[in-house]
Amino acid sequence: MNHEPVQTPTELIQASIHLIQKLRTGVGQVFKDLSDGISEHADENSSKEETDSTAASSSTKDAAKDKNSTISSQNQKEGSGTEKSEDQQEKHRAILRTLKRSLETISHDFSDLEKTGGHLGPVHMLSNIDYLSLDPVDKNTVMHPQLLQAYKWTNKMHELANQAFTVLSQNSLKRTQSPFFTSAKKQKGSLPVACLVPPVAVDTFVHNLDQSNVDMSISISRPLGSCGVMQIDLKRTLRAVVVLRGLMIEWVKVKGFDETFKTEDGQIDIWSSSRYQVFQKITDHAEAASLHYYAPAKPEIAIKSFVLWLEGFSTLFSAPCHKCGKHLQNNMPPTWRDFRSREPFHDVCRM
Amino acid sequence: MGVSCVYDYPVPDGRSGAQVVDVLQKQVETMGAYKTGNFHIDCETYQSVMLNSPKTLHILHNSEHPASCFAILDSGNTLVADTLFNGLMSNLKNYYQARKGAKIESKGQRYQLADFVLKIGSVSLAGSFKGILVEVEYSPSLVAMECWNLMKELLQSIVGNIAETPPQTLKPRMDETFTPTMAMLQYLEHFNNFRNKAAMSQPAR
Repeated sequence: MNHEPVQTPTELIQASIHLIQKLRTGVGQVFKDLSDGISEHADENSSKEETDSTAASSSTKDAAKDKNSTISSQNQKEGSGTEKSEDQQEKHRAILRTLKRSLETISHDFSDLEKTGGHLGPVHMLSNIDYLSLDPVDKNTVMHPQLLQAYKWTNKMHELANQAFTVLSQNSLKRTQSPFFTSAKKQKGSLPVACLVPPVAVDTFVHNLDQSNVDMSISISRPLGSCGVMQIDLKRTLRAVVVLRGLMIEWVKVKGFDETFKTEDGQIDIWSSSRYQVFQKITDHAEAASLHYYAPAKPEIAIKSFVLWLEGFSTLFSAPCHKCGKHLQNNMPPTWRDFRSREPFHDVCRM
Repeated sequence: MGVSCVYDYPVPDGRSGAQVVDVLQKQVETMGAYKTGNFHIDCETYQSVMLNSPKTLHILHNSEHPASCFAILDSGNTLVADTLFNGLMSNLKNYYQARKGAKIESKGQRYQLADFVLKIGSVSLAGSFKGILVEVEYSPSLVAMECWNLMKELLQSIVGNIAETPPQTLKPRMDETFTPTMAMLQYLEHFNNFRNKAAMSQPAR
């Protein structure tokens, strides 16, 4: 056993546990050798057994030496026996040799263990969990085992998540079937471009968008940090809030013109839904549209086409359905606008 | 508050107002509307005492706007104030006096049908039944011009051909943003019609 000076306490403990196990095997071996010897010479006198048992109880070098001397004297006594006894003597010597070897291993292992143990300092408590394990009151409760269990689970989950990550990262998930967007090279190169647009560029883009659309008033603010929140008022028909990450649409909500996106303390509220069914429906459709127009390679075109599509709702209440020619279907106006032609359809009429 | 249109639903001869209201209620319930409580609109009329040319002032209340009070002059000038305005009127006793037996009100069930609010009210003048007013409100829209065709589709399935054209009072303001006052003006027009009819039938009795 080599003991390098730089070893963590955990390594030391592991090393000593290993040594103890080794020592145990050694001692076990000694007992086995002894019992072998005893069974072969069950008819031998009791004095030998006694010396054997004294040898078994001692596990140091000194004890081994004592025993050797006793055994050799016994051998001398037996040496005056018949030819048969010479054979036996030979056997005895072999047994004694094995026994000696085992005892030497034990003493060697023991000194190793002693050395390693010397390096071990007191165990430092690292966290409250360790104290919890020492608390005698807690012995009856299940908190500590549960904590350990949870810890194990977390570790396992972490491991599995890492594995899942490696598996999934080989498999790029695609949102569109078009080969133009799905090529792995393009996606890798362009994704950060859409997300990592400097705020000034986004502001200018939104400002230009505002000026190019007569029917819409578009403003941008940043109440949520770096994410831009675009507020769109379309004529006197609806209001929409669009959360942008860089130039990517992340969140869309549509409300009525008499509703507000402000909370009582003047903050922008991007979560609450409209109280009107019509605008709840349009919010769903707008979310679908934001995915339809998603184009990480050309984020500006994506937003422009989304805004253009949204502008189609200026005739929300006045245009009849393109298919059935009616205004109302299930007491709702045509809430769907075709992605290409922007023609109005009822939700059920577009199939 | 969206665009709302109020129509006078005729009560055919030989049928009581309650019967017709019942039929109307059943009809909107089969359309899928569900009850959302009661509504109540009342109008009191005050006459000026001191002025040479007499002026009329109507004070209306609407249960949809419980904290407000609508004061409308014959000229159409409107003041929307808190309900405390009622107290002010009693202090103006020397200038404006309430016309007796002129309190007219419309009350009944309120229904919700998707984003539409339907109100079927029976009108009573000084306690006696005068007729039925049906109000249809389309909450999401604020401009009558835009949603008129859409409302017409629903209105015609409830009140029939009476809803061929927008209400008279609403016509000149079709392109304006709708306000609660516009609904009250429609009610006032109908209330005045009911009063005139009652006044005409009175001498004949």
